[in-house]
Amino acid sequence: MVILTIAHHTLREAIRKRVFYVLIGLCILITFISLVIPTTDEPNARIKIILVVFFQVVVLLCIIGVILISALSLPSEIEDKTIYSILSKPISKLSIIIGKIIGFALLSALILAILGALNIIILQQAVVRLPEGCKDILKARNEFTVSKFDIQGKLHHIREGTVWIEGGRTGIAVWNFSHVCEKPDSKSYFEAELSPKIESTGKFADSIPLVVRLEGVGSDHYRTEVISIKADEPFLLKLDTGIIQKSSNINISLFPLNTTDHIGVTADDVKVFFVKKGFLLNYIKAGIITFLKFLLIVIITVMGSTYLSAPVSIVSSLIVFLCGHILDFIKDFSFLIQYQGVHEHALPTVMRKPGVFFVYLDSCMKKILEWFSVVLPDFNRYDSLEFLLKGINIPLKTIVISFGYTALYAVICLFISFFVFKRREFL
Amino acid sequence: MDNSAVRTENLTKVYKDFWRRKTVPALINLNLNIERGEIFGLLGPNGSGKTTTVKLLLGLLHPTNGKSWLLGCPSDDLKVKGRIGFLPEESYLYKFLNAEEILDFYGKLFRIPRKERKIRIDALIHNVGLNIHRKRPLSQYSKGMLRRIGLAQAIINNPELIILDEPTSGLDPIGNHEIKDLIIEFKNQGKTVVLCSHLLADVQSICNRIAIINKGVLQITGNVRDLLSQKDVIEFLVKNLSHHDTHAVEAFIRSRNGNIVSVNHPVSTLEELFVNIVQGRR
Ligand SMILES: Nc1ncnc2c1ncn2[C@@H]1O[C@H](COP(=O)(O)OP(=O)(O)OP(=O)(O)O)[C@@H](O)[C@H]1O
Ligand SMILES: [Mg+2]
Repeated sequence: MVILTIAHHTLREAIRKRVFYVLIGLCILITFISLVIPTTDEPNARIKIILVVFFQVVVLLCIIGVILISALSLPSEIEDKTIYSILSKPISKLSIIIGKIIGFALLSALILAILGALNIIILQQAVVRLPEGCKDILKARNEFTVSKFDIQGKLHHIREGTVWIEGGRTGIAVWNFSHVCEKPDSKSYFEAELSPKIESTGKFADSIPLVVRLEGVGSDHYRTEVISIKADEPFLLKLDTGIIQKSSNINISLFPLNTTDHIGVTADDVKVFFVKKGFLLNYIKAGIITFLKFLLIVIITVMGSTYLSAPVSIVSSLIVFLCGHILDFIKDFSFLIQYQGVHEHALPTVMRKPGVFFVYLDSCMKKILEWFSVVLPDFNRYDSLEFLLKGINIPLKTIVISFGYTALYAVICLFISFFVFKRREFL
Repeated sequence: MDNSAVRTENLTKVYKDFWRRKTVPALINLNLNIERGEIFGLLGPNGSGKTTTVKLLLGLLHPTNGKSWLLGCPSDDLKVKGRIGFLPEESYLYKFLNAEEILDFYGKLFRIPRKERKIRIDALIHNVGLNIHRKRPLSQYSKGMLRRIGLAQAIINNPELIILDEPTSGLDPIGNHEIKDLIIEFKNQGKTVVLCSHLLADVQSICNRIAIINKGVLQITGNVRDLLSQKDVIEFLVKNLSHHDTHAVEAFIRSRNGNIVSVNHPVSTLEELFVNIVQGRR
């Protein structure tokens, strides 16, 4: 396969460049720095820092590195005329482009694999040093969707969509999960995450006692427990596997123990998860999604470099990448101007009292930005860090959608690249 | 079937500048027909359009007008490129590879099977005299060594048509000599060679036919012998003739109304001397 020959050649060229080693070295350095950045006292703060540094800083740096290498490749071959020796062989120009893309994709995969493996090892080391009881931070959970949310008895009042109930059994909040069916083994279990808002005698409280009741619907197994819940920290409650195995339809009910306390709840405030140890698998899934992000930027960069000179194609790829990240922000910016009343204090004076010209300019800009957001890829789609931080198993659907999104752009970009490259002359 | 190795029809190229405005034409209505098995010299002064012609043939440039065919196929046909070898006017090679790697790369692009490739690469590296340098990266090569690799690269696919753009530039006289021998060898194998050059002596000694272009216009094309032979001049090359006999011969010629233009001892060329000395020492 000549395409693979080109890909191999491209990869070999990249890894014989000094940039590659500088990049890897820098990333390793940053990974180790993440071990000494000061953190909060939370036991798993270190783990979170390591993850955040890797997925935000190291990945960003690698993407910039990959953009640099892939944007330089084709223009410098055309500049040095080494491309003559390829074009005079029996290879189509499309194969050259695809070969280049595959080469840089392999490069990205290589970089991600090296740094990802290092990151995993460091994470594992950090977990070992955690105190007992916090070690299950590296987990992958499947969430069950709540089927019904109900208030039994009297509710106190409703404020901004949150239902408030008073303590002492006057009202009980009940969440029903009707399909909690997973087969737990010795290493997996069910847990509930409780995050109601709390108040004590109408004032903000640090923590209050709360009554939790878990029952299997249809079976008469239940358990009641009093827990102390903190204001801004979700409470993790291990659920009895026994009850769930008797009935996959369970109810979780909450009410404050003391009559002076109140809780504010919504349907999303109690979540039930099936907890597995599969962190490594989840990490690999996150790695795949990140790789798809690399692939997309490589395809866009190679497309640019079929026509543009090296510096221009570097800059344009970086711009596309940045815009792809702040797409939401761009839209918000326009929103800010339109509805300046909302954030009046935060705006410069010109924006507070917009003239006709300004409003016109804004509506023009909004049109352009709308077009931009249609054409530009949205790189925020590839965010997998949130899943890892929350310990939620990345659904297969997310990966498939990311893959489809990348494939769509790939096809469009390949078309454009091919027609541009075909018409190009090599002076 | 089309029996020509290279055929062009009104091939015209006008380069455009950055604003897509046309500048001076580099090639105007070139009509060429190179037969198979020929060694064809494309001559012309600097900037006459030789390289432009070659690039058009290989599809590196799109013609402003006209068409061209290689080995009977339109020149933008991909498959025909597998039967062609090309040496560009300078050695544009990947400097981060070594001799073996780069030949392997090009061999793969020609889809030569692995075993065959290995045999050919060994032979080629040996033939171009770079055996001891085969593991060194090309960034450490001299200009002439690069040229040799370029040549090896051009013939790795055992091509039917070989296009050489100034093959001898940067080569030492030995290399020069070897290239000439190589080209003659190609001819014996029935291959077609197109040679762009302005080193007239080389062209004269090996080409069957030539074309001369100037300022993008084809001036003349024809058989080298026909174009160069001076029908009214005769040259003798005689060895071991005594001084006395030489005079006798001269007198005889004069008596027959022959007009002697010059009588002298031929000097051997500097090239011959150089080759003798360098190869003698080896
Ligand atoms: N990239 C280019 N852009 C504009 N004009 C060009 C370009 N390349 C070549 N030319 C012009 O085309 C004409 C022919 O150039 P070409 O390179 O074909 O000459 P050549 O016969 O190969 O000369 P040489 O013996 O120096 O190699 C020249 O007038 C040159 O100025
Ligand atoms: Mg030239």
